[in-house]
Amino acid sequence: MSILKLANIKKTFINGEVKEQILKGINLSLREGEVTALRGASGSGKSTLLTIAAGLQPATSGQILFEEQNIANMSSEQVRKIRASKFGFIFQFSHLIPFLTVEEQLMLMLEVSKSKLTKQQRKTEVNRLLNLVEMEHRRNTYPPSLSGGEKQRIAIARAIVHKPKVLFADEPTASLDSKKSKDIMKIIREITKTLNITTLLVTHDEDMLLFADQVIEMSDGQILQEER
Amino acid sequence: MNIAWKELKKNKSRFYILGSIVLLISLLTFIISGLANGLSQDNASLIKHLPNGEFYMTKDANQTYNLSKINHTTQEKLLNTEKDALALSIQMGFLNDVDGKQRSVSFVTATDSKFFPDVSAGEIILDSSMKEKGIQVGDKLTNNQYSGEFIVKGFVEQSKYSHAPVAFINIKDYEEIYKLAEMQLIYMPEKVISQDETNDLQSFSNKEFLNTISSYKAEQLTLNMIIWFLVVISGMLFAIFFYMMNVQKIGLFGILKAIGVKTSSLFYMMWTQMSFITVVALVISISISHLLNVFAPKGMPYYLSMETTVILSIMFLFIGFIGATLSGIQIKKVEPLQAIQRGEG
Repeated sequence: MSILKLANIKKTFINGEVKEQILKGINLSLREGEVTALRGASGSGKSTLLTIAAGLQPATSGQILFEEQNIANMSSEQVRKIRASKFGFIFQFSHLIPFLTVEEQLMLMLEVSKSKLTKQQRKTEVNRLLNLVEMEHRRNTYPPSLSGGEKQRIAIARAIVHKPKVLFADEPTASLDSKKSKDIMKIIREITKTLNITTLLVTHDEDMLLFADQVIEMSDGQILQEER
Repeated sequence: MNIAWKELKKNKSRFYILGSIVLLISLLTFIISGLANGLSQDNASLIKHLPNGEFYMTKDANQTYNLSKINHTTQEKLLNTEKDALALSIQMGFLNDVDGKQRSVSFVTATDSKFFPDVSAGEIILDSSMKEKGIQVGDKLTNNQYSGEFIVKGFVEQSKYSHAPVAFINIKDYEEIYKLAEMQLIYMPEKVISQDETNDLQSFSNKEFLNTISSYKAEQLTLNMIIWFLVVISGMLFAIFFYMMNVQKIGLFGILKAIGVKTSSLFYMMWTQMSFITVVALVISISISHLLNVFAPKGMPYYLSMETTVILSIMFLFIGFIGATLSGIQIKKVEPLQAIQRGEG
């Protein structure tokens, strides 16, 4: 069953008098619980497609249907609410909040998503997630004291602690070495499968594609090929 | 979760710097304000302690009370209209103390009233600051234009005029010294006289009358300008510092927005930090500046009232709020994508 559907998405950037069409009518459907990887050369439009699907920037035209509702027609406040409660994000860099401890990063996400859990239940959930990413021993640590791999584990935990429907991951392993990259991808795959979270992943690393259920190759703003 | 507080706790040094600047500026403003008030007391406490009423002087005096001469008929007519009304005259002059040393004073004489002390001919009542100059009750003081001697009858607190201690003397003695039979001013504490009754006179409220004293007006204008400049500068500093902090935090704001934090929550975060810093800085600067009320050197005219403190504090909070909010417009503009593309924040 499709949870997120992109229909004829176009994106044009206007720079002075120069118009550049980055996405040329993309159609894409993400199935519930599956990991979909977008691959392609630099400038192929894969990251732009991910950020449009995630409601982080508007498309020039086209529809983004999430749970049968068109995000493209929603107000920025409505999109923000969806981002806070239904979406999770992992970026190339962890982008953790520098003045919050590991535990507080996750608690903040539960607060932002307006989680209905009680204070005690939130604590239990945070503990469970930190266990899953094997970072429980670093709960009171601030981000500057964590290694790159540790930060990315926390970023994963933060992205899914509020049980989002869709996880958007933009080159989540680009800043890590190959061993750490595989560990991180393994965690993403295991957790999203366990929690039935749909994942849209952008990567240029061929090794990471092994963790995807569906691989979509993009070139020059268009989908070249879809593989399962 | 109060992320504003979490950031304050974690990034103490950054907020200490901002807080110290607010503290120094507000302290300077309070002290200058204390000096302005002190100088105004030193210049005109004789008038400032009178209840709000109306002063009258002759129109042809052209707002210079020394030139005003109110004739006896008018004086009697006005004094009869109100029980507490009084006629008074003020002249700068000198007294020779027991050692023959000249002391500059403001001679004040007035008709009987509850506002000024009652002085008989040959007696004098002085502002208490004259005690510091060694003058005591019972001392005999002279004036070059006065045939007799003034016996010091007592002292009154906070009675100064034109930066000189006031010397209350009897009307007869005043007439002998200055060869003037008419009084300069009429003061009516309550009743406002109709225009018909005061054809030749010009009326002034207490504040307006103070502004006819040229030194008072110039002095207060200068000091008040400094105070308001400092208030404006502090507002600009707020805006600049918060702008600089916000520029450094654009990445952070973008990420917070990306994960779904409301823009209003980010403004709330900034306002909380601004209010905390300002309130702490104000509490310290108010404490120090009010301690000066007690410990300022005797010769330093310093008086900071609670009313002035409260007004200035509200101004600081208001201007800090405006400054921080203006700088926070960037928060509204920042796009989550910008932050994500900036790399590790």
